[in-house]
Amino acid sequence: MTRRTSTAGRIGIAAAVTALLAFTLFPVYWMISSAFDPEADHRGSEVLPSGFTLDHFSHVLDDGEFGRYLANSALVGLGTVLLSGLLALFAAVAVARFRFRLRTQVLVMILVVQMVPLEALVIPLFLQMRDLELLNSLIGLTIVYLAFSLPFAVWTLRGFVAAVPREVEEAAYLDGCGWWGMFSRILLPLVAPGLVATSVFAFIVAWNEFVFAFVFMQDDSKYTAAVGLHRFFGQYSTDWGAVMAGSTLITLPVLIFFVLVQRRLAGGLAAGAIR
Amino acid sequence: MAADPRKAGPAAPRARAARRAAWARASRPWLLLAPALAVLAVLLFWPLVRVLLLSFQDYGLRQINTGESNYTGLDNYREILGDSFLWTTVLPNTVGFAATCVTLTVVVGTLVALLLQRLGRAWRAICSTAIMMAWAMPAVTGTYVWIWVFDPLNGVVSGGLDGLGLIEPRETNWFTDRWSFYAIATLNVVHHGFPFVAITVYAALLTIPRELPEAATVDGANAWQRFWHLTVPTIRPVFMVVTILSIIWDFKVFAQIYLMPGGAGANPDVLNLGVWSYIESFSRNQYGLGSAIAVLLTLLLLAITVVYVRALSKESDEGDAP
Amino acid sequence: MRQSPRGRSPFSLLSRRRRLLAGAAALSLGLLTACGGDGDDGSDGGGPTLEVWIMEGTNPDAEPYVEALEAAFGEETGALLDVQFIQWADAHDRFTTAMAGGELPDVAEIGTTWAAEFGAAGALADLSGSIDEAGLGDDLVPGLIDAATVDGSVYGMPWYAGIRSLMYRADVFAEHDLQPPTTWDELREVALRLRDLEPDMIPFPVSGGSEYGLYPFIWGAGGEIAERDGDGWRSTINSPEAVEGIEFYTSLATEDGLSVAAAETWLETDQLESFQNGQAAMVVNGNWTVNTLIQADPAWAEQVGVVPLPGQESGFSPSFVGGSLLGEFTSDEPELAWRLIEMMTTGELAAQWADQSGYFPGQQSLLEEVQGEEEPLVAPFARQMLEAGAALPVTELYGQVQGEQIVQGMLQRILSGDQSPQEAADEAAAAMDETFGG
Repeated sequence: MTRRTSTAGRIGIAAAVTALLAFTLFPVYWMISSAFDPEADHRGSEVLPSGFTLDHFSHVLDDGEFGRYLANSALVGLGTVLLSGLLALFAAVAVARFRFRLRTQVLVMILVVQMVPLEALVIPLFLQMRDLELLNSLIGLTIVYLAFSLPFAVWTLRGFVAAVPREVEEAAYLDGCGWWGMFSRILLPLVAPGLVATSVFAFIVAWNEFVFAFVFMQDDSKYTAAVGLHRFFGQYSTDWGAVMAGSTLITLPVLIFFVLVQRRLAGGLAAGAIR
Repeated sequence: MAADPRKAGPAAPRARAARRAAWARASRPWLLLAPALAVLAVLLFWPLVRVLLLSFQDYGLRQINTGESNYTGLDNYREILGDSFLWTTVLPNTVGFAATCVTLTVVVGTLVALLLQRLGRAWRAICSTAIMMAWAMPAVTGTYVWIWVFDPLNGVVSGGLDGLGLIEPRETNWFTDRWSFYAIATLNVVHHGFPFVAITVYAALLTIPRELPEAATVDGANAWQRFWHLTVPTIRPVFMVVTILSIIWDFKVFAQIYLMPGGAGANPDVLNLGVWSYIESFSRNQYGLGSAIAVLLTLLLLAITVVYVRALSKESDEGDAP
Repeated sequence: MRQSPRGRSPFSLLSRRRRLLAGAAALSLGLLTACGGDGDDGSDGGGPTLEVWIMEGTNPDAEPYVEALEAAFGEETGALLDVQFIQWADAHDRFTTAMAGGELPDVAEIGTTWAAEFGAAGALADLSGSIDEAGLGDDLVPGLIDAATVDGSVYGMPWYAGIRSLMYRADVFAEHDLQPPTTWDELREVALRLRDLEPDMIPFPVSGGSEYGLYPFIWGAGGEIAERDGDGWRSTINSPEAVEGIEFYTSLATEDGLSVAAAETWLETDQLESFQNGQAAMVVNGNWTVNTLIQADPAWAEQVGVVPLPGQESGFSPSFVGGSLLGEFTSDEPELAWRLIEMMTTGELAAQWADQSGYFPGQQSLLEEVQGEEEPLVAPFARQMLEAGAALPVTELYGQVQGEQIVQGMLQRILSGDQSPQEAADEAAAAMDETFGG
């Protein structure tokens, strides 16, 4: 990706990177350092933590049952990612590659269902899930998050599919591929970066959502990590060390997930060579 | 995949085959769409209809408990639209805040995506990981961290400004003033929101064939011209999506306002539509009124989106039409 | 700025919560088998199963209590309990959605202001008959049973009670030879002296986000928040007496500079944090926080002092009696549900819960026992409760007023200098009347 860059350009880029890292990482630093700070509850404006301890983590993991919650979240998150990637890609191909009646209306409707404030949906969606007998079930929660992430995934992937030149597809047909062959061998690798973006998005939606995870799960062994985090906010006092340690634990798996799928982002680069 | 013209046969079977092929062609997009649409219809569209039905009722805890309906026509809408509070406070807050956040989020996100593209492999990895951390951090935690940072008495910022002799921490409270309250909320929302734009736009940039910019460089186009005439048109669909979605989310911001000091209703000056709807529903048990506010917010978003999509899709549709 | 007593174990506060969570963990493991869907089909486990919701965090070590309760209840009735812990902050939403979906528990802990709210909605059973039958009517803490009683129906049984009084830094007072105040003027004077003697401290934070710090001053000046007006309610928060109280309380911040600007948006938790950090010298706070402080650092036992809230000229200013009720959500097993409520709210189990959680029992006879023990950090609160306790307007509409945060909004506008006490009180009264009227 390196291009001929002037010295001024290099300095500009260095400054931009510094600014970016500072803005991005400052709150993150605060979260992580408080998670290790033995005096996290009374940190005030101290920039450096007052010491180092793993007690908040062991507290959160041992007694806060965070291990189980993280496992629940991981199940729900991965389920959401796989399903939303698959369903959204099909839908995106439909709206990007086919001209059919109601196409625009369908696209707009997909957006409209996302516009209602989620807080207003709590009760109606609760009733709906009760009628479907999906309350208190991780599968039910997965489907809810699937619905939350689909609109973005469909719209984004539509852009990626539309960006693939038709000639590439036609060349595939000429080579004797069927539609399915073209889809899996040509289209899929070319929209891989888009799939990465949508799966990161879907994962985070599922990972961080709180309200529905709390209201739908009647059994506290089925709580997700985001709900587990709320246990440390008391009525009269908040256990900040535990909140920050829990938040750090919530942030980490997303990073791991991202590092894993990031390769595909680079893979998209390689696929670009076809063009 | 289309009917093969070489296999010409008698007229009637040929017509039938052609019809079947046409039907297959017409139904394929719907087959592809079906699973996604089914999920959305059951889990979002139908609950949305219920929200709409609720908005025409005087629906309190009693109705919640018994499940009875209690239709009152347009009363809720009349009450909200006739309330000067909506026009002088809530609506300006919502629109102004969302417009600022969307602009900043999209601009910062795009700049970061362009920056990522110019970086070497190692720095790109570092920066994108940092970005992901900002995104992955739970919004609740992020909000509390920003509250700490700006804590008037003990926060880092007031400590720093105090050190410079600019403020007197004991006499400062940024959370009571509408503007400084929203400045802090904007910082929080942009911090949490720009990574999404950056990663998505960066992914889109990767799909631009590399020959194009290089050819343009040879043609003598400068960086801005290259960006505007090559990059922007190519990533326009993705750009449109991130903008629309940022609009939708930033209009609906809830937790980042609600959790701020005074944001849960004690300071009516800082309410936005999302928080107002929640307070009417869950704090005051007026679920009909809360739903009506939610419906109005949805309509507002719909109007904005339609205008935006119209404006953009005129050109882009010409581009991607077959 | 950190003047908090040093040398405390930083984790003792955590370990308190830790034990609770460990308890909750053990419980949820054990209960997986006992939990049969809605909890109403008891056929699989022998006896029926009652679903019970309890707020998380009240009792730092709830596990032994719940075990004892399960054993006692099982022994007596043969029924099982499915106990779920719910976080306070999200509990109201959880109840509401469960109500919409018909998924309510059999018995649950509810905040005092929710009794009128859920009772009016028809979700709670009237317990007055059972209470009379058990002969308990005269032995319940007045403030709590009042809050649960709407038009003769009782929608909750007092479980435990709490009250706010004046907490002060006994060590700082002793160092400067100051006496805790007994009138409002003394409160102002002692705070002014503290401002000069301890310039880094906050003599008396006036928290804009905490309504319960203000009410004693309204009541202490002879005012009321609202009064019955025929069938409905009418706000009296802008009456001359009430405004006098509001004016005194807020002037401590706006005129005497005894608070800080940051406190304009403080909640009670922030105020407690500033006391714990060693910044605040006097705060209006609840009896349950004494336990929190001492568990965080035993040194607090020597450093905190408590007196009932001083009256305007003499006596005490009334303070809101808070706490929790146990309600029955129209259970399929009303007799079992009542038996459970009775077991939890009276006698040994009630005393045990109050003792462990740092609250007072909801049974008058038990409360008098506590006061008789004359513990210096307990007795002033008990005295406040018995002699100067008060209830908020008992109507589900006041729950809406609280939901709207009308009182906090009024406080914040006065504290930030946007409005005078009279203007802000007039506005708040109008807002309340709108809610009462609609």
